Amino acid sequence: MDMLLQFVANGLVSGAFYALSALGLTLIFGLMRVVNFAHGELYMLGGVMGWLATTVLGLNFFAGLALTLAVMGACGWLVDRFLIERVRDQGEEPSILLTIGLSIFLTNTALLLVGTAPLTIEGPLPNKPVFLGPVVLTELRVFAVAACAVLILAAHLVIRHTRLGRAMRATFQDPMAARLAGINTARVYASTFALGTMLAASAGMLLGSIYSTHVSAGGLVSLKAFVVVILGGMGSFAGAIVGGLILGVAEALWGGYISTGTVDIIGFIIVILTLIFKPYGLFSTQVERA
Amino acid sequence: MKFERNTLLVLGLIALAFPLLVGNQYLLHIGIMVLLYAVLATSLNLIVGYVGEFSLGHTAFLGLGAYTAALLSLRLGLPAWATIPLAGVVSALFGVVIGAITLRLRGPYFVIITLAFAEVLRLIANNWVDFTNGPMGLSGVAQPALLADASPLMAKRFYFYLALGLTAVSLYLAYRFVYSNNGRAAVTVRENRFVAQSVGIRPFVYAMRAFVLGAFLAGLAGGFYAHYITFVGANVFGFAFMVSMIIMVLIGGKGTLIGPLLGALLVTLLTEYLRELQELRLSLFGLIVMAVVLFLPNGLMGFLNHRRERNPSDAADGAARAQGGPA
Repeated sequence: MDMLLQFVANGLVSGAFYALSALGLTLIFGLMRVVNFAHGELYMLGGVMGWLATTVLGLNFFAGLALTLAVMGACGWLVDRFLIERVRDQGEEPSILLTIGLSIFLTNTALLLVGTAPLTIEGPLPNKPVFLGPVVLTELRVFAVAACAVLILAAHLVIRHTRLGRAMRATFQDPMAARLAGINTARVYASTFALGTMLAASAGMLLGSIYSTHVSAGGLVSLKAFVVVILGGMGSFAGAIVGGLILGVAEALWGGYISTGTVDIIGFIIVILTLIFKPYGLFSTQVERA
Repeated sequence: MKFERNTLLVLGLIALAFPLLVGNQYLLHIGIMVLLYAVLATSLNLIVGYVGEFSLGHTAFLGLGAYTAALLSLRLGLPAWATIPLAGVVSALFGVVIGAITLRLRGPYFVIITLAFAEVLRLIANNWVDFTNGPMGLSGVAQPALLADASPLMAKRFYFYLALGLTAVSLYLAYRFVYSNNGRAAVTVRENRFVAQSVGIRPFVYAMRAFVLGAFLAGLAGGFYAHYITFVGANVFGFAFMVSMIIMVLIGGKGTLIGPLLGALLVTLLTEYLRELQELRLSLFGLIVMAVVLFLPNGLMGFLNHRRERNPSDAADGAARAQGGPA
C-alpha cells in the first residue's frame, strides 16, 4: 500500500512534465493546425541550452532558465517565419513532413555538436528528501513540479487575459475575420509557435535538472507529448494537463508492478485504445478529428 | 502509362546486365541494397501515394518480415524459398489487422498511430527475450543451400538476381494494382474523398487493399534482408529505415511508380558517398526532406512530368496519358 502511494506520487511528478511539454504541442495544434513533429527536439534543445547556460556559462538556475526561454522563443519565432509560414494553408501533409525533416535535422546536428553523453543541469535546490506521510520526494522534485504549475498557469493567463492572447483566440476562430479586424495574423502565428517552443524548452530544462538530459531524448518526448494530446483531445488545455497526469501515473504503476523495461509501451497502448474508442479525446470540445 | 511501363522495362534490362558487367563485390552489394530499398520504397509509396495517408510505421512490416524469416529459418529450418514468401504473408496478415484499426483515422492521427504500432513491435522485439532473443538479435540466419560452396562473388550475383526478382514481382504487383480499377479508385479517394464516396467508391476498402499490398511487399523485403544480412535485430523496426524510405519516396515523387526507384537509387548512392561523413549524413537528410517539401513538393518525377507535359513535342504523349488515367 505504501508503495502504491509512492508510485502515484512519482507518476504525478513525471505527469506534470508530460503536461507541460504536451501543452506546447496542443497550443500549436489548436491555434495553428500544425502538427509539430519536431516538438520533442525543441524540448531536447531546451535541455541542452539549459546545460550550456548553467554549466558552460556558469549562470545560476533561474538566469539560465530565463536565457533558455528567450533563446528558444526566438528559435520558435524563426522556425515559424522561415519554414512553417511557407506551407501555411496547404493542408496538413506539408507541415507534417516539414517538421519531421526539422526533427531529423535537429537531433542529428545536436548529436554531432554535443555528443551522446548525458548532460546534467545543476538544480537550484539540493536533492534532500522530503517526507510527506508515507511518500518520499526530493526538494528538487517538489520545486520542479511547482515550477511546472507556475508555467502552466502563466501560459493560461497569457492566452486568457492579454491582448496577444485575445488575438490568438480570434485568429484560431477565424483567421480571415481576424485579419479584417486588423490583427497581424502572421505575427500571431509566430508568437504562438514561440510560446509552444518555450513551454517545451522549459519542460526540457526542468526535467534535465531532476534526471539528466541527453540529445536523443527528443523522439520519445515527441511521442509522449502526442500520447497526452490525443488522450486529452487536440487543442484542449485541460486535456493536456489531465492527460499528462494520467500518462505519468499509468507509467509509474506499470513500471512498479509489471516491468520497467516495457514502460514506454503503455503510452502507445493508451494512444491506440484512445483512437479506437474515443478518437476525439477526453476533453475535446470540437467535433472533428483534425 | 506507356512511358512508365517502357521506362521500367529498360531499367529492368539494365539491371539484368549489371552483375555480368561488374565483377566487384562492393558494387554488387550496393546494387543489392538499391534493389532492396526499391522494394521498400515501392511498398511505402502504395500507402503514401495511393492511399494518400502518411505512414511513419512502415518499418513494422519490414521488421515483421525480417523476424518471421529469421525465426522460421532458425527454429524450423525452413529454406529461403519458403521463408521469404511466408514473411510476406505474415506481414500482410498483420497489415490486415493494423490497417483495420489505423485506416479509420486520417492526417496526423494516422501518422501517430502507425508510428505507435511500429514502436510497440520494436519494444516487444527488444524485450521478449525467449522468442526474439531481445537486444542480442537473431544471428546466423541460413543462406540458401545453393550457396554452400559458391565463391563470394557468385553469392553476391545470386543475391542480386534474387533481389531483382523480388523487385520485379513488387513492381509488377504495384503496376497491376495502380492501373486496375482498384488503383483508379484509390487515386479518386486520395484526390477527393467525398466525390469518391458519391460515385460509390468505399474509401476504406480501397485504402485497405493498398495497405495490405504495401505490407506484403515490405514483408518480402524484410525476409530477403534477413537472409542476405544473416542477422536480424530490433533495429529493423527503427526510425533510420523509416527515414530512408520516406526520403526515397519524397525525392522520387510519391504517386508514381518510377519515382521511388529513382529515389532508392539516388539515396543509396548518396548514403554510400557520404559514408565518411557518417554523422553528418542524417543531418543532411533532414535538410533534404525540408528542401524537398519546400521546393519540390511532387518530387523529381512530378517535376519531370510537369516539364514533359509542357513540352510541345511530348504533347501527344501527355494527351494520351490524360485520357488513359492518372500517371
